[in-house]
Amino acid sequence: MNLQFLVDGVLSGSMVGLGAIGITLTYSILRFSNFAHGDFMAWGTYATLTLVGVIGATFGATAPLGPLSFGWPLIVAGLAGMVLTGLMALALDAVLFARLRARGQSIIVVMASFGASMALRSLLEFTFTSRPTYFSRSIQMAMPVGWGIRITPDQIVLLGMTVVLVTAMHLFMTRSRTGREMQAYSQNAALARVVGIDVARVVRATWLLGGALACAAGIMVGVIVQIRPLMGLDLLLPMFAAAILGGIGSVPGAVLGGLIIGLSEAGAVQLIGAEWRQAVAFVILMAVLLVRPNGIFGVRER
Amino acid sequence: MTGPILQVDALVAGYEPGLSIVRGATMQANAAEIVVILGPNGAGKSSLIKAIAGLVPVTSGSVALDGQEITQVPAHQMVRRGLAFVPQTDNVFPLMSVQDNLRVSAGVLARAEIAGRIDEMFQMFPDLARQRRLPAGSLSGGQRQMLAAARALIVRPRVLMLDEPSAGLSPKFVEMVFAQLAEMRRAGLTIVLVEQNARAALAIGDRAYVLVEGRVAHEGPAASLWHDPIIAELYLGQRKEGAR
Amino acid sequence: MIDLLGYAAFFLSTALIFGLIALGLNLQWGLTGLFNVGIAGFVAIGAYTSALLTTPAVADRIGGFGLPIAVGWLGAMVLAGAAAALTGFATLRLKADYLAITTFGVAVVAQLVALNAVGLTGGPFGVAFIPRPFGALADHPVLFNFSNFAVVLAVTAVTYLALQHLTKSPWGRVLRALREDERAAVSLGKSARSYRIQAFAAGGAVMGLAGAVQAHLIGFIAPDDYVPTLTFQVWAMLMVGGSGSNRGALAGAVVVWAVWVGAGALTAALVPTEFQARAAALQIVAIGVMLCVILLARPQGFFGPTRRKAKPGGGDA
Ligand SMILES: Nc1ncnc2c1ncn2[C@@H]1O[C@H](COP(=O)(O)OP(=O)(O)OP(=O)(O)O)[C@@H](O)[C@H]1O
Ligand SMILES: [Mg+2]
Repeated sequence: MNLQFLVDGVLSGSMVGLGAIGITLTYSILRFSNFAHGDFMAWGTYATLTLVGVIGATFGATAPLGPLSFGWPLIVAGLAGMVLTGLMALALDAVLFARLRARGQSIIVVMASFGASMALRSLLEFTFTSRPTYFSRSIQMAMPVGWGIRITPDQIVLLGMTVVLVTAMHLFMTRSRTGREMQAYSQNAALARVVGIDVARVVRATWLLGGALACAAGIMVGVIVQIRPLMGLDLLLPMFAAAILGGIGSVPGAVLGGLIIGLSEAGAVQLIGAEWRQAVAFVILMAVLLVRPNGIFGVRER
Repeated sequence: MTGPILQVDALVAGYEPGLSIVRGATMQANAAEIVVILGPNGAGKSSLIKAIAGLVPVTSGSVALDGQEITQVPAHQMVRRGLAFVPQTDNVFPLMSVQDNLRVSAGVLARAEIAGRIDEMFQMFPDLARQRRLPAGSLSGGQRQMLAAARALIVRPRVLMLDEPSAGLSPKFVEMVFAQLAEMRRAGLTIVLVEQNARAALAIGDRAYVLVEGRVAHEGPAASLWHDPIIAELYLGQRKEGAR
Repeated sequence: MIDLLGYAAFFLSTALIFGLIALGLNLQWGLTGLFNVGIAGFVAIGAYTSALLTTPAVADRIGGFGLPIAVGWLGAMVLAGAAAALTGFATLRLKADYLAITTFGVAVVAQLVALNAVGLTGGPFGVAFIPRPFGALADHPVLFNFSNFAVVLAVTAVTYLALQHLTKSPWGRVLRALREDERAAVSLGKSARSYRIQAFAAGGAVMGLAGAVQAHLIGFIAPDDYVPTLTFQVWAMLMVGGSGSNRGALAGAVVVWAVWVGAGALTAALVPTEFQARAAALQIVAIGVMLCVILLARPQGFFGPTRRKAKPGGGDA
């Protein structure tokens, strides 16, 4: 068996996991499954792409960093894109979700997210057409690292980025005041108010973080695979499956769920063909729902 | 000493529009006093203090804390105003550690003060100190009530409202909880105590109200109320004819 | 003039098929409160099932049993209903969102199978030569369109009446009670779940039937016919019509389809060819925004508004 699938699996698992963090946070704190999350990912990527273009137009061509396919413009644009995506999620909450949430029917919010998802995605198609694009067209050489595994410098850097983001996120959730308040709110919303937690702040943090991480995941897809308006939609099912597999509300769970799904996909693809990739996430989702609906880390779900 | 610390006037509140659960309750609590609220199951005792805490929509009437109107103040600002509340059930964050439960509840304190306050709470409840790293959900019923109380006290409230802190505890524990409440009152805290355990509550209480169908049906000094035959009749669950 | 009539018949046939799907969704959502984001998947299952059962045998693909159309439609209902029942079985003891996510997955997988199981579904090229009910009339377009319309109308009418009947039956009353009163659900316990599964399966069967009827109306199906846009259109139809009302579902379908076709024709006429793909995207944006605006401003829809207040507990629910 070719061990290359390990690299592929960990890479796609990282993308899924980063995205699933946002899904699991929205679900556990705002109490709805956000079908527009994949489109946050796509929007963030296109925003980053646009900013890279703007930087290129302002400062002229820049050399890539060392062996990487991209230079500092992508890093700057990516950070700005993460902020922008978070803000966009906040804006969508203000005009749409918050108003529906106030009426207390969570499934209506799910439906609205579905409508918003369709509109957001088509707006991207309108603006950028459905043709795939790339951050960079240069071809990278994959370096052999033993046991028949090859990896590109881009991939190494992006895996490093994932580790940093996930660690930072975990520390934020467990060590910072806002993170603890988010945990508290997800565990008992009424008690959170009693102890003086400002719900509006918690909601803001949730959207900002979820949006920013979705953008990071999207950039990863953009660098390693390609940029398309449908890129988020394609990852939506794996992201949901990862969030549920890891136990709703758990950040480490979402990441672990993402890795499990990424590795299973990569492993299964060798046997059944790449075109069936998405079916793997569905099979895992069904298995989890039937056998252990609370997920591996989940404790309680009402 | 001017006026009561907590003044509730003709409060009407309910969960759904058009269906009042608290139907014109009037009560007050003075400084450093334990006020007991009694009443049959479903009388609206929990709803009354939840309404005071800003958790149940109020349709009319008013709540004032130290002369300041707080009727429409959002629930999360109540601690800041000095009003702390321990709900009847689900009163800890089950997946967070004991320590984090306290920390997340101390948000209104100055940052530098928090660690010291947590230590003070651990001194007050040594049992909790031993379990500080365990998730709150794994505590025993009594320890959970202690944590809930510590969580409320950590912000140094002026008024502490507790909803049936003795529910589900062994008699020995009940005695301990009530002794601690009496202690806090001596330290100057005002306590509003909802209780099923009328005997124990009246024993430490200064004054008491009997709530029936969302209204105060009877009030008086705690000591005399226990011997009042009207209480036996009202409180020991005659609510057949009162049904809607 | 004659052409116009023929076109009207064709337009109405398509609209009514959407109406049929919306009726299925109304049973699931309007009556029972079950959220389905995978409508396209259930419609696809119905369409492909019927196509495989009724087409003549071909060399490079399983199926092609050449069975009568009625058998195809029955098979479509059974298979789509079974898929829905299975989905419900796996998720209906959990929170409502899990059903939504799973139905979304069903649509994704149905699309994958349609696209990739070439030996079963013909892959990207789809299935052709699906028998049409009045194929003999194909030489007289107007007559052909009208006979097709008659078939669709008959199927829709029968389904509508059956659903009206079901809604008012004790079974329908239980579903409504389950939807409106959580306590009823609790007191029914296990059987509450079974009622919900039944409703979800029945709705899925109606969607499957609609898919089959449409396959036989056009005579040709391909994976592209069952993309998420379809799910989305049907939701828009039900929301415009007013969820909870079977009449509203049908009216919403006709109105939204008319707007959709009209907007399509308008862009085709006004927008230069190179921008048409973009204009089509904008059309979807418009529907998405409309769906959100309806949810915000008029959750009860435009047809049969405030009926529940006027006639509590009764009427055309
Ligand atoms: N969250 C809620 N939503 C709707 N109705 C509620 C809610 N909580 C309580 N009620 C209703 O309010 C009424 C009073 O309940 P409440 O809990 O205030 O009574 P109580 O006096 O505290 O009773 P107990 O002694 O059993 O604790 C009951 O009829 C109850 O059904
Ligand atoms: Mg109570």
